Amino acid sequence: MIRSVVATLGVAILLTSCGTAAEAPKKTELSLYNDKGAWSKYFEDMGALSKQKIGLGVKPVGHTDSAQYQALIKAAFRTDTKPDLFTWQTGGMLQEIVKQKQVADTTAIWQEAIKNGDLPQDLAPYYTFDGKQYCVPLNVAYWGMFYNKKTFDQYGLRPPTTWDELIQVADTLKRNNVKAFYHTSVLFSFVWFEQMLAGTDPDLYDRLSTGKAKYTDPGVVQVMERWKSMIDAGYFVNPGDKTDPADSLKNGKSAMVSFGTWFNTSMTQRSLKAGTDYGFFVIPNINASLPKTSVIFESGPLCSLTGAPDADASMKYLKWWTTPEAQEKWATTRGDVSANPKVAIADQALGQITKDAGSGKYRLVNRYFEATPPPILTAALDGFGLFVTKPAEYQKVLQDIQKAADEYWSTHQ
Amino acid sequence: MKWRAGYVAPAVLLVAALLYAPFLWTGYLSFTRYDGLAPAQFAGLGNFAELVQDPALLTSIRNTLIWVAGTMILPVGLGLLVAVLSYDLKRGAWYRLPFMLPYALSGAGLGMVWSPILSHGGIANLLLGVDTAFLQEAPHNTLAMLLVWTWQQLGVNTLLFVVGLQSIPKEPIEAARLDGAGGWSLFRHVIWPLMAPLTAVVVGLALVASLKTFDIVWVMTQGGPGRSSETLAVTMYRDTFVASEYGYGSAVAVLLTVVTGLASYLYLKRQVT
Repeated sequence: MIRSVVATLGVAILLTSCGTAAEAPKKTELSLYNDKGAWSKYFEDMGALSKQKIGLGVKPVGHTDSAQYQALIKAAFRTDTKPDLFTWQTGGMLQEIVKQKQVADTTAIWQEAIKNGDLPQDLAPYYTFDGKQYCVPLNVAYWGMFYNKKTFDQYGLRPPTTWDELIQVADTLKRNNVKAFYHTSVLFSFVWFEQMLAGTDPDLYDRLSTGKAKYTDPGVVQVMERWKSMIDAGYFVNPGDKTDPADSLKNGKSAMVSFGTWFNTSMTQRSLKAGTDYGFFVIPNINASLPKTSVIFESGPLCSLTGAPDADASMKYLKWWTTPEAQEKWATTRGDVSANPKVAIADQALGQITKDAGSGKYRLVNRYFEATPPPILTAALDGFGLFVTKPAEYQKVLQDIQKAADEYWSTHQ
Repeated sequence: MKWRAGYVAPAVLLVAALLYAPFLWTGYLSFTRYDGLAPAQFAGLGNFAELVQDPALLTSIRNTLIWVAGTMILPVGLGLLVAVLSYDLKRGAWYRLPFMLPYALSGAGLGMVWSPILSHGGIANLLLGVDTAFLQEAPHNTLAMLLVWTWQQLGVNTLLFVVGLQSIPKEPIEAARLDGAGGWSLFRHVIWPLMAPLTAVVVGLALVASLKTFDIVWVMTQGGPGRSSETLAVTMYRDTFVASEYGYGSAVAVLLTVVTGLASYLYLKRQVT
C-alpha cells in the first residue's frame, strides 16, 4: 500500500516538473521590486499604462530601507522566488551582480534604442560591462541647487553664476539669520564633498574614484578645509535636524538644497510651483578656470534577472520602458527629467539643464554614490557623517576613508 | 510514547530550521569572507583578528557597556524605587499607570516618536530653550537614547517588582517591624532578600535586552554620526547588511552571542549560588 502511494506521488511530481519545464508561465503582471517606496503610485501609473499598451501590468513591491532591499535582492538570486524586474544602482553595485551573471543582457534593447534616438549613446557606458549592456535607465538625474524663491525674492537675491556669488548669497542670508544650505549626517552626507571636489578638480574626482588618487592628497584636503570653513561660517543647517529636506526648503528653514533633479518630485508632492515657490540653478565651479561647469550626474537602472520567471515578458517591458510613450508618462507624473532625449520636460529649468547637458555644455561627473566602490563608500558615508558634526576632525576622516580605499584597491586594481 | 514524539516533531523541526540552522550558518560565515553574492571564501580566524583591531568595535563595546550599566541604574533601579514607593499605597495602580503606558510602543515606534523631539531644533530644544543637538555628540547621544529607553521600560520593571513585593509573605515583615525594623533597614535586610528570585529575573532580562540594543539606536541615529552611537548589535547589522561584509558581520554576531551568553551565565550562576 505504502509503496504504491509513494510511487504514485513520485510519478505525479515528475509529471508536474515536466509540465513546468515545458510550459513556462506567461505573465500578464510583473513584480517590480524597488527601494523607492515613496514612488509606488508612479510605478502603479506606469503599470496601468503598460497594461493598456503592451498587455503587461506592474505590481510594485516598494522598500524604503536601501540596505534591507539590497540584502533581499541578493537573497532572491539564490531562491526560486525571483522578481520580474528590480531597481538597482549603477557603478560598483551593478558591476558586482553582473560579475555573478545574475543580470539579464539588454544589449539588443540598447542598440535599438540608440538607433531610434530613444537613449543617448553617452549613457551607455554606465550600463556597459565587457562590451555588453545590462538593465535600462530607470531614471537619470542632474544635480544642482533647489532654492526657495520667496526667500531669495525677500532679500533681493538672484541665482549665482560664480562661486563667489554663491558665497555672497550665503553671506546675505546669514546676515538675515537664514541658513543658506541644507546638509545631513545620514546617507547624503557626501553631497557637498562631491560637488566641491568636482567643481574644483574634476580630474582629481575621477582619479579618486578609480584609486589613482588618495583621500589624503593635498587637493582633497583643501576641499575639506573649504567645506569646513563654510560650516564654521554658519552657512549650513544643523546636520542633526531631522526635517525632511523638501520641508526644510518649503518652510524656509534652509534657503537652498542641493539634490538631483528627482528632488523635483518632492516639490510636486508638496504642491509647490516651479518659478513661483522654488527655482533650480546649476552650482557654479569653485575653480573658475575650468573649461566646463561640472555637473553631478546619476542614472539608476531597472533590471531583469538572467533567471527571471518569464524572461520574454521582462525584456518586453524593459524595451517598452525606453520608448517615448513610457518615458513621457514617467517624467511627467514625477515632474522629473527623462533618459529619453525625445521627451519634452515641462519644468523650464530642468528642461534647460537636460538640453545643455545633452549639447555637451557641462562636464558630467558620475555621482559619488555610484562612482565609489561600495566598501569605500560605506566608510566615506560614515566619515562625512562625522565630519559635518565635527568639522575639525577632517584629517582623521580622510585618513579613515583612505584606509578603506587602500584595503579595497589592494585587491581590485 | 511514540505518538508523543510525533506531536513534538513539527515544533522541533521548525525550531531547528528557523533557529539552529541560521545560528550554525552564522557561525560558519564568521570564518569566511562573503559579500552575499560570490561564494564564501574560508578565512579562518581572519575576521576575528580584524575585529580586535577595529576602532569601531571599541566604540561599540563602550556604548554597549553604557547601555548595560544605564539599564541597571535607570529602568531597573528607578523601576524598583517606584514599585517600593507605590506598592502598598491605596490606588497605587493609578500612580503606576503613566509609567506603564509607553510600554505599548515598539522599539522602532519609540525611536520614531523621540527622534524629532531630540533632534537639533526639535521639540526638546524649543521647550528647554537650548540649542543642543542631543543626538549628535558621543556619548551624549547614547545617554539621550538611554533616557528614552528608560521612559519606555520603567513601567514594566515597576510592574514586575510590584508583583514581587505583593507576593512576599506578610509574617516576616510584621515580625521585623515588631523588632523595630523600618524604612531602609526593613527594605535592606528583609524585603530585598525576599525579593531576590524576582530581582534575578528582572535584572537577567534587562541584562540581555541591553546587550542586544538595536532598534531604538537604528531608528534614532543609525549608529552615527560617524559610528559614534553604535552598539554591538548595530555594528553587526551595519557590517552585514550595509557594508555587505557578511563574514565580518557574522563574526560580530558570534562575539555578541558569546558576550550575552557569558554575561547571562555568570549572572545566573551567581544568583543560584
